[in-house]
Amino acid sequence: MDISKAPNPRKLQLCRTYLMTGFAFLPFVWAINVCWFFDEAFRKPPYPEQSQIKRYVIYSAIGTLLWLIALTTWIIIFQTNRADWGATADYMSFIIPLGSP
Amino acid sequence: MANLKTTPLWLLLLLQVIIVRGERTRDTMYQPILGASCFRRLNGTHQTGCSSTHSGSVGVLHLINYDADLDFLLGNPPSPPYAPMIPPHLFTRSNLLRLKEAGPKIISAVLLINKSEKMQQFSHELSCPNKYSGIGRGGNSSETCDESNTALTWNPWGTGLLHEDFPFPIYYIADFDEILKLENCFTKFNSVNFDSQALRSLCAVEVKAFMSAAVNSEVCMRRTNFINNLGGSKYCDPLEGRNVYATLYPRNSSEFIDETKLRKSNPAEKFIIISCRLDTTSMFDGVGVGAMDSLTGLATLTIVAHMLRQLLPDQNTLPDPHRNVLFVAFNGESYDFIGSQRFVYDMENLNFPRRSAQSTPISFENIEFMLDIGTLDDIRNIRLHTLHKSSTVAQKLLQQLNRYAKSSLYDFQLNIGSNAGYNMPPTSAQSFLRRDDNFPAFILNALPSNKYYHSIYDDRDNVGFMYANTSQDYTALTDVSDFKNFNANSLQMKIRNVSSIVAMVLYETLTGRQYEYKDVANPVLSDEFFYCFLQSSDCPLFKASSNPDSPPGLPLPPMRYISVLGGSQESSGWTYRMLGYLLSQPQPQVLKENCTQLPLFYYSGFNGTGECRLTTQNYTHALSPAFLINNYNWSSGQYSTWTESTWSQFSARIFLRPSKMHEITILSIGIVVFIISFCLIYIISSRWEVLFDDVPASNAAFPPPTNC
Repeated sequence: MDISKAPNPRKLQLCRTYLMTGFAFLPFVWAINVCWFFDEAFRKPPYPEQSQIKRYVIYSAIGTLLWLIALTTWIIIFQTNRADWGATADYMSFIIPLGSP
Repeated sequence: MANLKTTPLWLLLLLQVIIVRGERTRDTMYQPILGASCFRRLNGTHQTGCSSTHSGSVGVLHLINYDADLDFLLGNPPSPPYAPMIPPHLFTRSNLLRLKEAGPKIISAVLLINKSEKMQQFSHELSCPNKYSGIGRGGNSSETCDESNTALTWNPWGTGLLHEDFPFPIYYIADFDEILKLENCFTKFNSVNFDSQALRSLCAVEVKAFMSAAVNSEVCMRRTNFINNLGGSKYCDPLEGRNVYATLYPRNSSEFIDETKLRKSNPAEKFIIISCRLDTTSMFDGVGVGAMDSLTGLATLTIVAHMLRQLLPDQNTLPDPHRNVLFVAFNGESYDFIGSQRFVYDMENLNFPRRSAQSTPISFENIEFMLDIGTLDDIRNIRLHTLHKSSTVAQKLLQQLNRYAKSSLYDFQLNIGSNAGYNMPPTSAQSFLRRDDNFPAFILNALPSNKYYHSIYDDRDNVGFMYANTSQDYTALTDVSDFKNFNANSLQMKIRNVSSIVAMVLYETLTGRQYEYKDVANPVLSDEFFYCFLQSSDCPLFKASSNPDSPPGLPLPPMRYISVLGGSQESSGWTYRMLGYLLSQPQPQVLKENCTQLPLFYYSGFNGTGECRLTTQNYTHALSPAFLINNYNWSSGQYSTWTESTWSQFSARIFLRPSKMHEITILSIGIVVFIISFCLIYIISSRWEVLFDDVPASNAAFPPPTNC
């Protein structure tokens, strides 16, 4: 879908839907929202719905960043401590590597 | 004219056929090497054995002829990692630990090559085998076996390497042609000039022996049984097999299968247990027959059983008609007494024999005494081990043994010594004594003199076995003076003598009369036994003890490592049939058609004509109780916890590994070509009008894309 062809209210509605969907623990939707509406929010000549879109894009960006930090931290902690946590770590995993502690 | 034109084409085709052979690149690059690999086993606390990396460990071949050759590898080698080829006499604990210490960056694989000329000893079992599962007051094992004092150990030559964990694979190459391949490749490419190795292509080996399990049995069993385990991958399997048992007389006390009823033993029944070990082990998968470390015991048990069957009258004519002899061959004894621990566990829970065997359970109260046949390395030095000096049964047994051993009538000229106390050999009786140290268990064991205990070299050369292939009848006893042309010092005669003595003592115990006949065990039976177990399963004794219609055994000795569920289980199968045959009573009145249901079994028999016999043998499960008990404490050391890791394949192949310089050059060229191609494409697409200014007419027909 080419966003530039949609009417402005439709753009706002889409951006809002994406922001709301992202709250269902779907940070990738926020990330897509940021990429998709970045030009609309910051590069296009001003139009009435733009300030609203801009706000949604910034919220999505903040959400994505928080998720990124949280996931990175958890992955680093888990991977470095997996062997030490023993059974607990095994119960958290779906795939356990072969041939290593 | 046409002919002249096509001639060069034909020539070209012909040339192609001659020069280009239809071989795959892989086949021209690699040459496979046949051998056996070391693998990973785990117990409750540790992992032992070896594993390669996931994609296979690659190392440059380096032949080790002297200890000094190792210094070259461990100093500052020019082109690591290396794969040293080590002959057995240099495969010592100190050398292997040095290689282990160097780490997989320097030493990535080890090849053990079968050049055994200089070998003096080769045993990688602990000097105190099964030291954590034997008796010993307060968990102190130094009383049964003192590692600090070689004279008090049961395997003085043991290096304990079987219980080390190696970060590299170890591959054993037995075949001389394969060794020659390796040596030729080494001399042609590697040993030309060691200093310039870094600049040349070198002959390298790739060994694949990747192990799935890690850490210890607790971890790998947890992961295997794990509910989230989506891939369904198995990490390890418990060591598991079958014990074989048989009674001298068929048991009368049958039991109806009623699951609701508690089982009860029959207090009138009395058993004498004669036991030995069924299994052996070695460092390498599928190699090792355990000739001296366990086959001599199994041979003795078999021949004793056969001799008693021939000698003893009907059970009703015995002074005590409820007395019987129970022969048991325990499996998995090399790994902390798996078979006997389970046997004791089952007996305690009144679960031996199983309900499905439809006979009353046997409890410890039914056992009169147990005579365990341990290792018989040197039959001139056999001792009877007891825990308590005061045991009257043991004293009587010893006195009887010696009366026959020294008797001038038989001229065995043996002397059975005695040993009382905790210094007991690592045999199955320890599992019984561990439960109750007043249990009347006695062990016949020779002083250790086996320099190849639990190794690939404990073969027929180690026991000096030569198959006589007499084709004579081995089912009858012979006169003591009839040696059947065997040398008095041959293995066959030694086993005949020990077996006869034990059988005579049991005869006296059961009948209450001294044995006075001149008939002794037949050395031909011993000859046939060792041929089957050391050389070929396609042998007369195994043939006689199978159904006439069953296919012959493989021309290889049966595998005697306990293995895992779904493993070969060859040796327990053959022992089951053989013991069944030799202990059974012929039933000439039963026709072949009616001889299908156990305990009746139709055997091929000695002359192959077929005969129906009443058998008494059966299996029990040899799986450690540790795997049955819920929430078993793996580090408690109560039961054996050995498991074997799973693996996908064992393989080794040699190839020419290019030098580092060569590899870097190729990679750089590749990267440069990649970048150049990008630039080229960019230039072409940005200047397309210049390159393609005269657009062909067919393309011009399409209208240019419109801008909307």
